[in-house]
Amino acid sequence: MLKQPTVNEVNEFLEIASDFEDPLEVIRESLSNAYDAGATEVEIQIRDRENGSDIVIEDDGEGMDERDLSSFFDLGNSRKTDSIGYKGHGTKIFYKSDKIVVNTAHEGTNRRAVMDEPWRKLNDRELPEYEVTESEVPSRSLGTRIRVENFRSGEGFDPSELTYNKIEHYLKWKTIAGSTAHFFGDGHREMNIRVDLDESIDDTQDFLKTNNRLDFPDEQLEPGDGDKPAAEMCKHYPPRELTVEYDGGETTVQVVGMVGGKDARNELPTYGKHSAQFGVWLAKDHIKIERINEALSHDNEFIHFLFIANCQDIELAANRESIRNKASPVFSAIEEEVDFYMSKVAEDPWFDDYLDSRRQGRYERRVDNESGDVTTRREEIHSRDRFEPSNRAEVLLGLQRAAAEYDDLDLSVEDYTPDAEVHAILDRNGNLQNAAVGQTLTELLETETPLETVDVVVCWERGDPTELREWERHGYFDGSIEVDSESNCLIYESDERHEIDLIELASLSEE
Amino acid sequence: MSRARSLEEFSFTVEETTGDARAGELRVGGNTLETPTMFPVVNFYGGGRKRSMFGGGIHRTVKELAVGHDDVGGVAATEYFDTIITSVSSLTDFGISKDLFDTYRSTQIKEWEMFEPLDGIFFLDSGGFKFLGDGGLEGTNFEVEMDQETVYEIQRDLGGEILVNLDHPIAPDDDHATRIEKAEKTAMNIREFLSLTADFDGGLYLTLHGYNYSMMDEFLEIVTEEVPAPVLREGFDGVALGSLVPKKDDRDALIQAVTDCREVLADWDMRGLPLHVLGIGSRSIPLLVGMGVDSFDSSTYLQNAINGKYQQSLVETTPLDDASFEACDCPVCSSPALVNQMNGNAEYQKDVLGPVAVHNLAVQKRDVAELRECVASGDTERLIQYLEDIFGRDKTMRRYAHRVVNESLGGYF
Repeated sequence: MLKQPTVNEVNEFLEIASDFEDPLEVIRESLSNAYDAGATEVEIQIRDRENGSDIVIEDDGEGMDERDLSSFFDLGNSRKTDSIGYKGHGTKIFYKSDKIVVNTAHEGTNRRAVMDEPWRKLNDRELPEYEVTESEVPSRSLGTRIRVENFRSGEGFDPSELTYNKIEHYLKWKTIAGSTAHFFGDGHREMNIRVDLDESIDDTQDFLKTNNRLDFPDEQLEPGDGDKPAAEMCKHYPPRELTVEYDGGETTVQVVGMVGGKDARNELPTYGKHSAQFGVWLAKDHIKIERINEALSHDNEFIHFLFIANCQDIELAANRESIRNKASPVFSAIEEEVDFYMSKVAEDPWFDDYLDSRRQGRYERRVDNESGDVTTRREEIHSRDRFEPSNRAEVLLGLQRAAAEYDDLDLSVEDYTPDAEVHAILDRNGNLQNAAVGQTLTELLETETPLETVDVVVCWERGDPTELREWERHGYFDGSIEVDSESNCLIYESDERHEIDLIELASLSEE
Repeated sequence: MSRARSLEEFSFTVEETTGDARAGELRVGGNTLETPTMFPVVNFYGGGRKRSMFGGGIHRTVKELAVGHDDVGGVAATEYFDTIITSVSSLTDFGISKDLFDTYRSTQIKEWEMFEPLDGIFFLDSGGFKFLGDGGLEGTNFEVEMDQETVYEIQRDLGGEILVNLDHPIAPDDDHATRIEKAEKTAMNIREFLSLTADFDGGLYLTLHGYNYSMMDEFLEIVTEEVPAPVLREGFDGVALGSLVPKKDDRDALIQAVTDCREVLADWDMRGLPLHVLGIGSRSIPLLVGMGVDSFDSSTYLQNAINGKYQQSLVETTPLDDASFEACDCPVCSSPALVNQMNGNAEYQKDVLGPVAVHNLAVQKRDVAELRECVASGDTERLIQYLEDIFGRDKTMRRYAHRVVNESLGGYF
């Protein structure tokens, strides 16, 4: 007996609509649909409502005929062949709402379709229906208006948190508004986009106006003035069509891009972290989908690059956020070709010049910072009464100074190894002595300096006398310790008795 | 010290350039060859006597194939030996006696009847690199102190047509004082070399040492304290860039050395001389050609064979066991008997690996000729495409290829 598998239609609709959570995804779908309908103007309004948001999308495209309208509501019945939306999933995002009203005028007929409570019905395991009424309109009337009431965003996608900046960034990075098709000429049509947010969402501007092209900042090949000479540098890499052969066929990758400094990159509507936006993007329909920053070697930080590699043989996952044919030979071949192209970009001598300019800027900033520090240090020298060391090396410098000044201090510093347990080796009257060096004796004890191998302790001061008394009371590791002020020595007794000379530079200087 | 030599004996002309790469014609002693070209390292004297073709295991089989000897079924790969390089220092590689040493020196290589088919250009390196450690040639019962005069005598005895002076190559960890000392010793040799070779008709190549412009420029400063620059320019016919063998796998260093060398030569008015890079071959050859090197030498064909690698192109090898000989039309792979040997059916390893070595050489020579064609076409795009094709998607090598394209061939963007 032959049996056919069945599909639970309600669950399918529910599943697909649930894949979309961000109201911005409504915008992405609508823009692509408007462009496909030949629109030159598209306007999107978003109003914040108690249970979601009302979204109105209006375009001047050629409208939908009866079949198009069915496709709009149907699942997996798209009339598109290879562009975004060909799986017929996209518009099902609208099902997450209380009401969908579509008004579309096409060749003298206006069709009005209304679907009530689609989201409630789907959740009640009921397939929502829609009612279509047709009326005559003048044939020159064109366009589509979609009204979605109380669109339910997913958790964390509250429309009240939308801003024009966030939308512009989304438009340019995730939708056809950031298309790079215009670089390649063929068939690109300009489309003006207007987004109007409820004042309660963002009242910083009346609306956002943009178009469907991503333009790079102006080229600036030479370094600028100032302490960040590379920040405004920017180079465009002209559009190239790469032919890619793979096991099973041939495809074309259209790649275009720029390399630029931070200020140049900020001329793009980034409004966010460059690390999430720059790098090497794979695109379909010239809409950026996923980055493959591995195409750049580890030596090259991807953040300097913005490259878009478009290929129509990339296949998208249902939610359009990722590529689903990554295991295919065509994808591997695309990746390899882009990787190869990017290796040429990374070896472009201009990029070296750009990095040199960055280094030059860093160098000059260091010089500036250092000269400020040096000025402060010099002022401190002028204002102090006497030399006072602030680190171990300066203690040794003080020792050498003292030796030059006092005849009875016959010594020289022969070795200084700050990270070793014995910090320095001194030549005292022709004998080499191991020295522990610190600003204070107490500091040397606190840092657990081994005393067994030390002949002499050199310090600026002994440190807090009460602390020293505590050391004398409690001992040092398993031995006793005592400072003999008479003979200027430190007596440490564990297994053996060690008499360690103590040179206290501050007291010498006072003498 | 100036030499009078006719253009018949030595001349070099650049016929076409594409970027820095150049295609030229080198005439030496009546032979003409197209550059860029590769000189395979051949070890003629392997400790054996005349009846055994002077021996040498795999070297012997290579020599047999080079002349089409009966022992290899008369298969002749002579066309791939139109250029040969050998070294004075290789004479005692096999621990020979004084008697044999004298025999080897008694007749110029090409004058031996057995080597009669070989009529290509014969480059004789001084072997300075080996003498640095040992100080001389050492056999089983004799020692010969090596100085410029002795080296030149041996170069003449062996019949070299392109000679280099005895040099003192530098090492990567040499400090400045050591490099200066070596340069001074080399400079004295150069002076003596020019005086010894006043009546020599072939080509004389000046060794140049350094890893960057400043080192090479300093080297020439020191040399010209011994030999004035005009005399140097007049006396030498070419330049041999040395000391790069320890850097052969550091291709960034190699690219810098070669590009800087060209710059130094331009500044010293020696840009028109043919440039040979000593001891660097195989995978680096396409890069060298792209940078405008005219010749290079390599023993990779042999080394690869010894390591069981069958060459598919300049940059690709396959384990001998996986080789498909029918895909190659070189004389070796076209001989069923030799293919049988390469399949392991031979008593001695030399008979298995010798033919592989000569096949490898044929492949290398074929690819160098193709590279030369690209350069000679004057079509930079064609040369760039060749580099892209040959390095394919090798992520390490392609970076160097891009660098050569950017620095020497006009760049991509």
